[in-house]
Amino acid sequence: MNKPKNKAAVVKVKNDIEKSVLDFLKKGMDNEIFDAVLIPMKVPAGDSFAYVLIKDKSLLKDASYLPPVMPVQGANAVSSITRLGKGKMKIAAVLRPCETRATVELTKLGQTDLENIILISMDCPGVLPLSDFVKDPKKGMKLFDESIQKGEDKSMRPVCQICDKSSMVSGDIHIGTLGAKKDTFFVISNSNKGDEILSKLKISKKEDLDNWQSKVKNISEEKLKKRKNAHKTLKSKVGGLDNLLDTFSQCINCHNCMRVCPVCYCRLCYFDSDKVKHPSDDYLMRAEKTGSLRCPSDITLFQMGRMMHMSLSCVSCGMCEDACPMDIPVAQIFSMVADETQDLFDYVSGRDIEEPLPFVSYKEKELEEMEDAA
Amino acid sequence: MTKAIVINKTADQGLTEVLKFLLENNRVKGVFTLKKINKEGDVSYSLITNADDLKDSVPFYPLMPVNAAKILSRFTLKGPSNVPIVAVLKPCELRAFIELVKREQGSLENLFFISSTCAGVFPLEMAKERSIGKNLSKYFEKIKKLEILDDLRPVCRSCEEFVPYNADMTVKLIGENIDKKSIIFLNTKKAEKLVEGIKLDVSEKDLDKKTLDNFKSKRAEEKKKIFADIDNKTNGIDGLIDLFGRCIGCHACREACPICYCKLCEFDSSDCEYKPSNYEIELRKRGGLRVPPGTVYYHLGRLDHVSISCVGCGACEDVCPVDIPLSAIFKKIGESVQKVFDYIPGRAPKEDLPITTFEKEELKEFEE
Repeated sequence: MNKPKNKAAVVKVKNDIEKSVLDFLKKGMDNEIFDAVLIPMKVPAGDSFAYVLIKDKSLLKDASYLPPVMPVQGANAVSSITRLGKGKMKIAAVLRPCETRATVELTKLGQTDLENIILISMDCPGVLPLSDFVKDPKKGMKLFDESIQKGEDKSMRPVCQICDKSSMVSGDIHIGTLGAKKDTFFVISNSNKGDEILSKLKISKKEDLDNWQSKVKNISEEKLKKRKNAHKTLKSKVGGLDNLLDTFSQCINCHNCMRVCPVCYCRLCYFDSDKVKHPSDDYLMRAEKTGSLRCPSDITLFQMGRMMHMSLSCVSCGMCEDACPMDIPVAQIFSMVADETQDLFDYVSGRDIEEPLPFVSYKEKELEEMEDAA
Repeated sequence: MTKAIVINKTADQGLTEVLKFLLENNRVKGVFTLKKINKEGDVSYSLITNADDLKDSVPFYPLMPVNAAKILSRFTLKGPSNVPIVAVLKPCELRAFIELVKREQGSLENLFFISSTCAGVFPLEMAKERSIGKNLSKYFEKIKKLEILDDLRPVCRSCEEFVPYNADMTVKLIGENIDKKSIIFLNTKKAEKLVEGIKLDVSEKDLDKKTLDNFKSKRAEEKKKIFADIDNKTNGIDGLIDLFGRCIGCHACREACPICYCKLCEFDSSDCEYKPSNYEIELRKRGGLRVPPGTVYYHLGRLDHVSISCVGCGACEDVCPVDIPLSAIFKKIGESVQKVFDYIPGRAPKEDLPITTFEKEELKEFEE
């Protein structure tokens, strides 16, 4: 995929932005550019949101392109439909940037087939912590709307507050609201697929993107600064084995972080396998070394193992932290480590589908600084 | 009347003294119990082998960080313990372990069980907030007066199985004087032999049945209320969609459930993975489809699989990130299924699982 071109289409907002985005999607279905739309929708009880694959256009009016929470990572929804291959239907998947990036990573990992999927992302203001939201969904809806209006992020999840990629475009089409003139939004194409769609919809790309680009640049620079600071503070708290043991001391080994992680796709995790089930004598021997053994054991080992397996592809989406029953700042810790490991390979997870995973690309000369000085 | 050790200390302190005796005198090689694990006072199950480490043990801390049955199962999954071990657990944890043993997920050999009359535990959420410590005195004040504390987990407030089955020793934890006197009943010959020679008062005592019956009726009242809250929702698909609609599919309930022991759950298997063409067919039929699919199906499936053995421990609800009232749902359905077979999960290791027992004449009332 190419970098966003300097020109974008502009769509006039009729009622409100949500309705206009849904209108745009409906137009896509009317023109048979896509057969179905994958998009979040309020659940029947109205207390949360879920991804719904919509073919019946009349259902679109209840969809929500920018819900206040992320109950399921969109990449998992895409993978659920296409893991076993591409379908006949063309599906437009409306995902936040981190969900799009996770989808790109899952594609590299062979867990999705994007041939008939059109990835549509948007400028993301972040989401509220899920546990706060479900306690009082009405209040949550209000809080989210107010935060967007005021341009505030202090109610959003900690990992959203330090997200410097909240407008990263790695799918086919991006809805840009930043820097757009009043009552308009940008439709930014980022691929041939995206170009094709715009031309079929007869929306021409003639608007300059400078405004959007400079706004995005400002926000992402500001957030990056915040992110680096947050990571620095966090590192001083969790760095080193003692601090790590302390940080994960309340972990109950439920592996929820792993199961909601879009990148952790293994059907049977190593840490659920027979490899971690030992004879009783082993546990006793370990207890005898120090006098007692915390049970379940190997909590930190699991966290480290998971980090090692997925940090190169971690998109800092925050699902793990949302799902942690013990409120361990998993997403913040993983985002900190991910930044460092990805930097090492000059890799940004989900940035570009053409960029190979560092683990699968061999370079004769690399990481020399890690070699023994001798 | 049963032989009982009586110590003029709190239940925690009294039992710790007995545990110390057992470790120091090599009667057991290890003790499974709740223990403080850091300076913040977080509590976790631990396998203690050194008597000195018992100083941080809090056997009756009102929290269930994980269901201990899972820990004992992990410990004995590859074979029975080669040395005697004593485990202190809550009645529902002990029942869950018995159910796991029936399913060949653990072994009773070489294990001694200490349990208590159980007043219930606080939600895991309070451990996260580290607010249990300051509520401990309130907790014990209430159970001394046989009252039910509102802050306890709903499933505990409504639990009628608070007297353990299959415990070698039972510690009195409901009723008056529990903060001054610890009474440890020696229910089995095994237990009497285990503590033989201990330099503590042993006398004949009785668990006060009248007090416990009184407490049980209060719990039954609570149960009625809690079941009534979900009553109209567990019948029919609309109610179920309302209950489970906000489920995020993390399957934490299954992971925390002591009965759900499968290595690969049906609902994570390829059986529940659909081809794009399946989605397309469904989509044509319905116009819209929740993705990933099968949210209610998963919970119904799990109910189907575990309800006969559900001990109502509440671990599922404790870990649910979106606060679905799982324990009330599973307890309600579980009890109704168990009643059909006159089965109480974990009551007796020798009692066969109804699903594995063939009776020529049964369930006639369900026949057409």
